[in-house]
Amino acid sequence: MNPLCKPWEHALSRRQLLGAAAGVAGSLGLSNLLHPVAAADMQKKAKQVLFIWIDGGMSQLESWDPKPNTLFGGPFRAIPTSVPGIHVSELVPRSAKIMQHLAIVRSLCTQDNSHSAGVARIQRGDPKNRGVTYPYFGSAVAKLLGAGTSGLPPYVWIKPGSSGFIHQDAGFLGPKFGAVAFGDGKPPENLVLHDSVTPADDDERNVLRAAANARYAKNRRKQVGEATSYVYDVARTLMKRQDLFDTTKFDPKDVERYGTHEFGRHMLQARKMLEAGVTFVKVNSYGWDTHGDNFNGHLSLMPKFDQAFAAMVQDLADRSMLDNVLVIAMSEFGRTPRINGHIGRDHWPEAWSLVMTGCGIKRGLAVGETNAEGTWVKNQEFDIGHMFHTWFTALGIDPAQTQYDNGGQPLPIAHDGCHAVKELLS
Amino acid sequence: MPRMASFFLLFLAVIAPSFAPLAPGQEPLHARMDALIEAKADGPLAAQSANAEFLRRIYLDFAGRIPTVDEVRAFLADADALKREKLIDKLLAGEEYPRRMGQVFHVMLMERLGDHKEWQKYLQDSFAANKPWDVMARELLNPSAEDQATRGAALFFSKRLENYGQNPVDVPGMVRDVGRLFMGIDVQCCQCHDHLFVDDYKQEYYQGLFAFVGQAQLRQGESFPAISEKPLTKKVEFMSVFVKAPKTVGPYLPGLKEVEIPVFANGEEWEVKPDPQKKIAGKLKFSTLKLLSEQLPTADNQLFKKNIANRLWWMMLGRGLVHPLDMQHAGNAPSHPELLDLLADELAARKFDMKWLLREIALSKTYQRGSQAADDAAAESPRASYRVALEKPLSSEQLLASMTTATCETARAKPDELQERFAKAFANPPREPEVEFSPTVKAALFYLNDSVVLGWLKPAPGNLAERLAKTMEPDELAEEMYLAILTRVPSEEEKKDVADYLAKHAANREIAIRNLLWSLLASNEFCMNH
Repeated sequence: MNPLCKPWEHALSRRQLLGAAAGVAGSLGLSNLLHPVAAADMQKKAKQVLFIWIDGGMSQLESWDPKPNTLFGGPFRAIPTSVPGIHVSELVPRSAKIMQHLAIVRSLCTQDNSHSAGVARIQRGDPKNRGVTYPYFGSAVAKLLGAGTSGLPPYVWIKPGSSGFIHQDAGFLGPKFGAVAFGDGKPPENLVLHDSVTPADDDERNVLRAAANARYAKNRRKQVGEATSYVYDVARTLMKRQDLFDTTKFDPKDVERYGTHEFGRHMLQARKMLEAGVTFVKVNSYGWDTHGDNFNGHLSLMPKFDQAFAAMVQDLADRSMLDNVLVIAMSEFGRTPRINGHIGRDHWPEAWSLVMTGCGIKRGLAVGETNAEGTWVKNQEFDIGHMFHTWFTALGIDPAQTQYDNGGQPLPIAHDGCHAVKELLS
Repeated sequence: MPRMASFFLLFLAVIAPSFAPLAPGQEPLHARMDALIEAKADGPLAAQSANAEFLRRIYLDFAGRIPTVDEVRAFLADADALKREKLIDKLLAGEEYPRRMGQVFHVMLMERLGDHKEWQKYLQDSFAANKPWDVMARELLNPSAEDQATRGAALFFSKRLENYGQNPVDVPGMVRDVGRLFMGIDVQCCQCHDHLFVDDYKQEYYQGLFAFVGQAQLRQGESFPAISEKPLTKKVEFMSVFVKAPKTVGPYLPGLKEVEIPVFANGEEWEVKPDPQKKIAGKLKFSTLKLLSEQLPTADNQLFKKNIANRLWWMMLGRGLVHPLDMQHAGNAPSHPELLDLLADELAARKFDMKWLLREIALSKTYQRGSQAADDAAAESPRASYRVALEKPLSSEQLLASMTTATCETARAKPDELQERFAKAFANPPREPEVEFSPTVKAALFYLNDSVVLGWLKPAPGNLAERLAKTMEPDELAEEMYLAILTRVPSEEEKKDVADYLAKHAANREIAIRNLLWSLLASNEFCMNH
């Protein structure tokens, strides 16, 4: 048995058997990585990711790369931050106060100008086309870091809308690396113990099930038993963690600090998920596609983001979690410097910003620069592939040494034409 | 292969007398299968399955459900030495066989992309008539809207010609599926270049197949699944992403000659011109789908006949001789090449009579082997050795039918509604073949908390829970419960556990019975076909 196998991967999958067919017969624990993450790395404190997805396109000019008093600068001022020399928009005052924790990238230049293609391409790291569907970042991290010891699923997605098991994110890695979505913070179907079953009965019936399985397992292959035990354990752990999604039990002080709005609630829930040990937590915020009335739009949206984001980073820092949790907040692109006839800003993948902190990331800096009017990248142009290299490296996964093995097809985990941004790595 | 030959002779000497007299060299196929498997076993074989284990397995494979308590009792009590063979024939002739085979082929061919009443009818009718596979393949690859009896077959193409969500029609996926499902080759990588590590797979494989099926179009506005076809007027032009040299290919299947594309004057391509106003799809003089349906499903096409033999073997044994099923190529040789040749050739010689091949496999010792090894070490024998019977996951269809059979809820169950519910919980997402066992958290949560499943465990007129509630003698209750759910009698230890549990919860017997029922229904022994 592969010493690097993770129990939760013991579910038989098509691709694992593809591996077996290629000559690694019978080893069920084989991971579909050509070069697995080194064992020493695995023993370090579990690394986690908080991925804040600002859907529709946050304006870099109204957030991390303000250009006040210029042609396209808009009405908002720039304010100083806790790091001398770095200024951000007055719409993110709380983030400005914790700038010593943050790393801003101001020189992203990416490929897609549309939401439908952009969301997927950015979250997949826009790898070269190799005729396969790449996993989203969350599925990739679920695969590469595993589920840890929390007994919870490795990839949780907190978002407005419906709940469910989102297998699509996983691409060629296969459905089990998909997301468990908590729509509007609520758990997927069947996650609450049925009315007719008491917790005591639930324990009893599962003890009986385990006894039946132990008898059946005698003189049989271990795979079936291990795989089903794992999924039942995760299901039952989730069922017992109502505290993770019962917002009525959240500390009112926390609710106040994160914000009484949807995004604040979802971020608070995300913190609880991280504390509970979930490897990758994605939080979505919608409604950022401000083609019309961009400035009032950001005036309304930014403070909610700022409040919850700053509270989160501060909490992670206070809890000594920031060294292990990689935090990223980004959109699929930025917004046009040019202000359109509806006082809006359109899609702009040519020169935009994102912010990150935490695990493996150098803090208190801004990398890259746009020109004076913010229209183009002036220096240190980065594509999303550079960010994926940086993030994987920050998480202790060397993109040069780690490849996916898609049924014998070796696939790089990040765009092979890009590299990590050294200035961003601590 | 001297070793194999001597084993073979020994085998004949021991086994042959028990069969009906046969001409020399004419031993039945199932005996020849066993000889080839045993010759390569390279380790101890598990004992023959117990009658109860065989009974459960053959019901799941041919009727798509576990047997009822009455069926179990009758079979176990039957002293007839030929009872296994008789049961095999009974189930193959039974009315549940077409339904079960329809399910297998629906899941295999559609991969949960969608469904249609006419498609279901087509599958049921085909298996009820034991339609040969080459005939079915012709109907699937070149469906005729004029033939009411078979027009449902068009769903194979029509579903793949629909948009899914916001995505455009996945034509490469459709080309790939024709290769995977009818020839057992996955030419996806060959869309852009020769396969990098499968030497057999050339870019022409994909592009030549694309020339055949790339003209298919979805016909809108019909109540039945329907497609139409555009004329192919020139070869497909392509270029490898590695070797930037333009190439062309016409309709071309691996191992066959490329088809010349006839030249027609503009407008002369049609035997019957299409007329959307009158809902006439038109008929081409040169139809590449018709050509495909003539060239692909033939007894001479090695890939075609091996693919279906391999898939039927997988259905019965839980692992393809070529595995993964869609990776037939020189670098992924069959575990038993002679056996795959034998199955493919015999099936073709029998005019692709699938029921005949399934019967032969069911009669084999290989199929009837026990799923429990002599010890834990022997249990981990290579899967491709078939020394121990492999466990097969239950499809959502088998699981539903088996749960209602076990709980005696079949009469009350609304199958269509429930099937949707079960597919949502247990089936793979669209485009993920259901070949391996892949338990999910979602399915576990469904088992734990679904109100329909839990509802079946409450006493209701005529159901298992009610029968057990009235059975006061614990051993009798245990036996009834184990026969109903696990198709076997409980061991002494299991009977004692049931008695102890009931005694401990005497005050709350109904809940205690429910917990016992649930634990067996959620057990791996129930959820696997072993």
